[in-house]
Amino acid sequence: MAVHDEGAFWSIFGYLLSGLVIWGGLGHFVDRWMGTHLFFPGGLLLGISSAFYLIWMRFIKAK
Amino acid sequence: MLTETLLSGEFEPPSAADFQFAPIFGDSILFSKPVFLVALSVILIASFFIISARKAAVVPSRLQFAGEGVYSFVRNSIGQDVIGPEFMRFVPFLFTLFTFVLCNNLFGIIPFLQFPSMSRIGFPIALAVFTYVVYHYVGIKHHGLKKYIKDICFMPGVPKWIYIILTPVEFATYFIVRPATLSLRLFANMFAGHLLLLVFTMGGEHLLASTILMKILSIFSFGFAIGLTFFEFGIECLQAYIFTLLTALYIAGALADEH
Repeated sequence: MAVHDEGAFWSIFGYLLSGLVIWGGLGHFVDRWMGTHLFFPGGLLLGISSAFYLIWMRFIKAK
Repeated sequence: MLTETLLSGEFEPPSAADFQFAPIFGDSILFSKPVFLVALSVILIASFFIISARKAAVVPSRLQFAGEGVYSFVRNSIGQDVIGPEFMRFVPFLFTLFTFVLCNNLFGIIPFLQFPSMSRIGFPIALAVFTYVVYHYVGIKHHGLKKYIKDICFMPGVPKWIYIILTPVEFATYFIVRPATLSLRLFANMFAGHLLLLVFTMGGEHLLASTILMKILSIFSFGFAIGLTFFEFGIECLQAYIFTLLTALYIAGALADEH
């Protein structure tokens, strides 16, 4: 139904955003603290993959 | 060529400064045009629904039909379809939210008012805070604090070690990203829409004061402004709908036994 598609769209968007912000942000601070350049892209990758995993669990596997 | 003329002709493009208004009474910044519009919207909405419901009849008048149409849209398409059996409790909140956002958005294209109050970020934030408090309160009351937080943070059917990665993401989604996107979406849509209208009307006005060729070209600018006004009408209704719909979805999510 259209109503639930709209809701699913924004939940997916929310997961992607918070995944990137949380793990990317954490990686960024670790990089600044340690003076490295590896944790920020690593954090972004971890964040986006955890977001995809959550989306998969919630919208594909649950159905 | 057009751009060069505009730049040399001291065209001042619209900016965020166009969203700042001088205080209406004295020098108190607490009462400026957006605040006035919000107050006006409350009066308009209240009087519209009081008048439309006063002479309620079995065969509705045109006004009563319009009022009931808006109400039943929110009750049925947003409340009942999304929240389910317990929806009646939340209809007053959803209905107020929808009409309030819609009315304030529509001020953006109403002649002489012509400012969507939701393009000042304070108002969407206040509304998002209401939604935030309501859906967490409902969830905590329905499940109890411990189970509610546990349901949010720990998705069932996941190996234990993955929770270290997933829990921060889930927590941030529910407690930070949701209210932030809710208010930012409404604010940004109204802000951008108003800016777009300003660009074409001010641009047209500027061209009109120039050479004869530019005067002819200004027709296109004004034409765009008129077309975009209709487009804005659609966006304003849609944003009011989405804000209310997402509020209903968040409440439904908080009430659901598992997410």
